[in-house]
This record gives sequence, structure tokens and C-alpha cells, in this order.
Amino acid sequence: MLTVNHLAKSYDGEKKSLTDVSFSVHPGEVTVIIGPSGAGKTTILRSINQLIRDDDGEILFDDTDMRQLNRSQLRRARCRIGMIFQNYNLIEPLTAIENVLHGCLGTKSNLAGIFSLYSNREKETALKLLEKVGLKDFAYQQCRNLSGGQKQRVGIARALMQHPKIILCDEPIASLDPKSTITVMDILRDLAINDGISVLINLHQVDIAREYADHVIGINNGQVVFDDRTQALSDAAITGIYQKGAVPERSLVHEF
Amino acid sequence: MIKPENQISIPTQLPSGPRLSIPLRFRDRRRVTILLTLAVLGYITLMTLPTMIPSHFKLTEALMSFAENIKIMFLQPRLVNTTFISLLGVLGQSILLAFLTTLIGSVLAFFFALASTRRLAPTSLVLGIQSFMAVIRAIPTVLWVLIYSVVFGLGANAAVVGITFHSVAYLTKVYADSMDELSPEIIETMQAMGLKKSAIIRQAIIPNLIPSYLSWTFIRFEINFADAIAVGAAAGAGGIGYQLFMSSSFYFNFHEVGVMVYMILAFALVLEIISYRLRAVKHQ
Ligand SMILES: Nc1ncnc2c1ncn2[C@@H]1O[C@H](COP(=O)(O)OP(=O)(O)OP(=O)(O)O)[C@@H](O)[C@H]1O
Ligand SMILES: [Mg+2]
Repeated sequence: MLTVNHLAKSYDGEKKSLTDVSFSVHPGEVTVIIGPSGAGKTTILRSINQLIRDDDGEILFDDTDMRQLNRSQLRRARCRIGMIFQNYNLIEPLTAIENVLHGCLGTKSNLAGIFSLYSNREKETALKLLEKVGLKDFAYQQCRNLSGGQKQRVGIARALMQHPKIILCDEPIASLDPKSTITVMDILRDLAINDGISVLINLHQVDIAREYADHVIGINNGQVVFDDRTQALSDAAITGIYQKGAVPERSLVHEF
Repeated sequence: MIKPENQISIPTQLPSGPRLSIPLRFRDRRRVTILLTLAVLGYITLMTLPTMIPSHFKLTEALMSFAENIKIMFLQPRLVNTTFISLLGVLGQSILLAFLTTLIGSVLAFFFALASTRRLAPTSLVLGIQSFMAVIRAIPTVLWVLIYSVVFGLGANAAVVGITFHSVAYLTKVYADSMDELSPEIIETMQAMGLKKSAIIRQAIIPNLIPSYLSWTFIRFEINFADAIAVGAAAGAGGIGYQLFMSSSFYFNFHEVGVMVYMILAFALVLEIISYRLRAVKHQ
């Protein structure tokens, strides 16, 4: 589904932010990336949909390399990749349903984008998605009046409106209280289980990762230092991931 | 291998020795230059002021007649040569001139702003358009009207084109600045969903921009109203400015000038109230 091979990235051409990162993500699974601050988690996520151009490697999404696509091909590929942000990044003056409907604009014409032309079916889908994330009564609220947890759920509904094959989440719960955290994480896990979407999440909360992830990838200093099922995430492994200057375990290196 | 961050150490002891007073800022060349310039300008002003006063100038007499004229204007406003209705008509002309130029200017400026915001356009285009607009802005509106009156002749046409010209340059700058202030993440988010540029502009930029677009356009309307009055007199473009010029410099009828000043003040008050309401919308 999504396979990343030998991804390398340097922002300034000197210091390597990613060195040879490889992993894959499977449909119907929640994959969580953990690692210390500055390890390169955001860089990996944003390389996948090419918001930042990487330097080297291969990003196979449905067997096509995202790095080889031209502008319009990339735009079309992005239509099927949902993304969820720590700061929600909604259009605050617009209503929840308007924000959700943005999710389907990528596949529509210029005219539809300019005049907000949506079919009744699309509007129904948007309302259903808002219902799914528990915001049916807030469909016509301006997003600036929603709470953080509600905004994040609108963000999820917007991503779902794209009919995504994969959803990328960069610290989706970093600004949320514990209760909203559970709500949002439950929704994300539900998407993987019931809709067969691949969910890839950057997290700082190891306990949440343990509870929700099927698969955990540990990143340190731009390298993959852990890549295994969640059951294998022992306390020692966690210490290893967050260690300064951690190096890949021997056993792991042999796996590749 | 020792990592760079491990090498940083915080000095535990301040170096001993005589304690110097710690400056809050460096003495920089810019401040010295500014002070020097101000001093020179002040000196020149003081030296030339006496030479500007004509020999037959009598201060008390001048002050008296000034007070007299002020009294006529503000305490005895009265119409002689025209009627109130016809004055309302010419005031309306000035307002319409301001409205038309602001309207055309804001539409054109919106597209120029899209082409010259760092959020959407390449740097070369941004720099190109912005410096071109800066040159236009540097020349005052009244001068543009006079320049265009060479082409169109003195009158309303030159006024419309000239004021619009300056409005476009002004609004392009402020619109582009408000677009620059938008968070790049919002546009990035839209790109990440595969939206086309037109959809990004319409769905992400415009909704966020409407409040500042409205308030800047309104400020420009106020400026254009003032310019419309000035231009009416200077370029014979008609409107209340022309009437003002005729009454004050041709008929020397300060009673009438007083009426017109009060009318303009009344309209300015209306504008102020509207802009206050607009600000309330912006902050809701
Ligand atoms: N736009 C950028 N320009 C230059 N360097 C960058 C940029 N973005 C990230 N970096 C560098 O790349 C490295 C990885 O950053 P990244 O944001 O991917 O880390 P992260 O794992 O997401 O950290 P955090 O958990 O704090 O979000 C860091 O050393 C960072 O300084
Ligand atoms: Mg990050």
C-alpha cells in the first residue's frame, strides 16, 4: 500500500534530517511513529505527500513513486491522501460542513471550486461524516467557534471526504485534553478497522501509541531504530528509541 | 564522538574587574544619521523663516482677519449663489467619483495582489509588481490626475483614471500584505488535499481575507473622497471641490464655503460611523 524505501532528506544540504529511512504501512492498520523531538517524524510524513521534496529514496504509494510524479499527477495522487494536523488548519470563518466539503474539491472542476458547487450526494456524505465524528449538530457552526477537539474531528471528517486510502496525522492530539484525545484516537482506530484505511500517526505519547497502534516505528536522529508489532515494544525498546544518538539494533538491521 | 550541544558550557562565574555600566543598545550609525539630519533641517528652518515673511506683514492684522474669516465660515454659513439642493448634487458627484474609483481599484488590485503575494507567486513576480506599484504610489494622486489630464483633457475622465491608478497601487500593496499574513499552513493544507489554485484562492484565502479586504477598501474610499474634493478644484473635475474652489477663490464668499465645509464634515462623520461598524464586524 505505502512503502518507503531508503528515504533521505537534508534541509540545508549539510545536516542530514533523514538518513536511509525504510518502512511500510498496511491497509487496515494503525501505524505510529514515535521518537524524540527533531528526530524527523514530521519530515517523513510530509515527504510522503511531497509537501517537502526529499533528496533521495522511493515512496511507493499504490506502486507509483510519489517522487516521480509531475505536478498534476501529484495533485491527483494527493486527493487520496488525507492529512490531519496538530493545529487542525481549518478555514476558521467557514462552517464545519463547508470545511468538510473541501475534501472532495480536489477531484472537481475549477468552476466547482470557485462557486462552491457540490452535488446533493456530496453534501449528504459530508453530513454523514460529521455525524460519524459526532458533530451532526455543529454542521452549520463557524469553525472558529468550535473547541479544539471538535475542530480536530472536523479535520478528520474533511480527510474522510477525500475517500482516502491513507491518512497521515502529525501529532493529532498534541493540543487536546485527555477526553478529546480518546475520542479522536478511537475515531482513527475505527477508520483502520472498519474502513480499511491505513492510518499513520506521529505521536509523542508512548502510552497512547501502545494502546492504539498495531505497528510502531521508532525514529531517532533521522534513522529507523525500531520497526515491529506493538507487542514487541518493550520498556527497553522505548528507552532505546528515545536515547540520544541511538543506533539501529543489530537484530533489526538483519531483518532488512 | 562529542556532539556540539554537549560542548556548550555556561560560565559559572562572571569575569571580575571594574564593573562597567551595561548599555541597552549599541550606538548605531542610523540613529546618529537621523539626529544629524534633524539638526540640519531645524537649523535651515530657523534661518529661512524670517526671509519668508513679507515686509508689509503685520501679525495682529493678519490674525484679526483670519479670525474674521473663520467666524464667517463657521458661525455664519449661508448660501448666496447656489441652493442647498444643487450643493447636495455636487457633493453626490464627489462621493460617486470616490465610489467608482474605489470599486474599479479594488477589483483590479485584488488580482494584482494575488500575483504579488509571497503565498502564491514566485519571488521575481512579487518583487516586480510590488516595486512597480511602489513607484506609482510615490507620486501623489493629484499629480496622476494632472498627468492623465494631458491625455484626456482637464475634467472628470482624467480624475477617474488618475485616482483609480493610485488606488490600484495602494490597494495592491495592502491586499498583498494581508495575504502574506495568512498562515502558510492553511494553503499547504489545501495543497495536501489536491486542490487546484483557483479553489485554494476561493475557498481558503478569500474567506480569511474578507474582513481586512473590507476595512482597507473602506479606508481607501475615505482617501479617494478627500482626493476627489482636491482634484475637483485642481483639475476641474467637478463635484463639491470645484464649487469650493469657485466660492473661495472666485466669489470670495466665505459664508458659502462654510456651508460646504459643514456638508463635507457631515459626510465624513457618516463614513466614520460606517468604519466603526465595519471594525465591529471584523472583531466579532
Ligand atoms: N523547514 C526546515 N528547515 C530546516 N530544517 C528543518 C526544517 N524542518 C525540520 N528541520 C530539521 O529537520 C530535523 C527533523 O525535524 P522534524 O520536524 O521532522 O522533527 P520531528 O521528529 O517532527 O520533531 P517534533 O517531535 O519536535 O515535531 C530537525 O533537526 C529540524 O531541525
Ligand atoms: Mg514534528
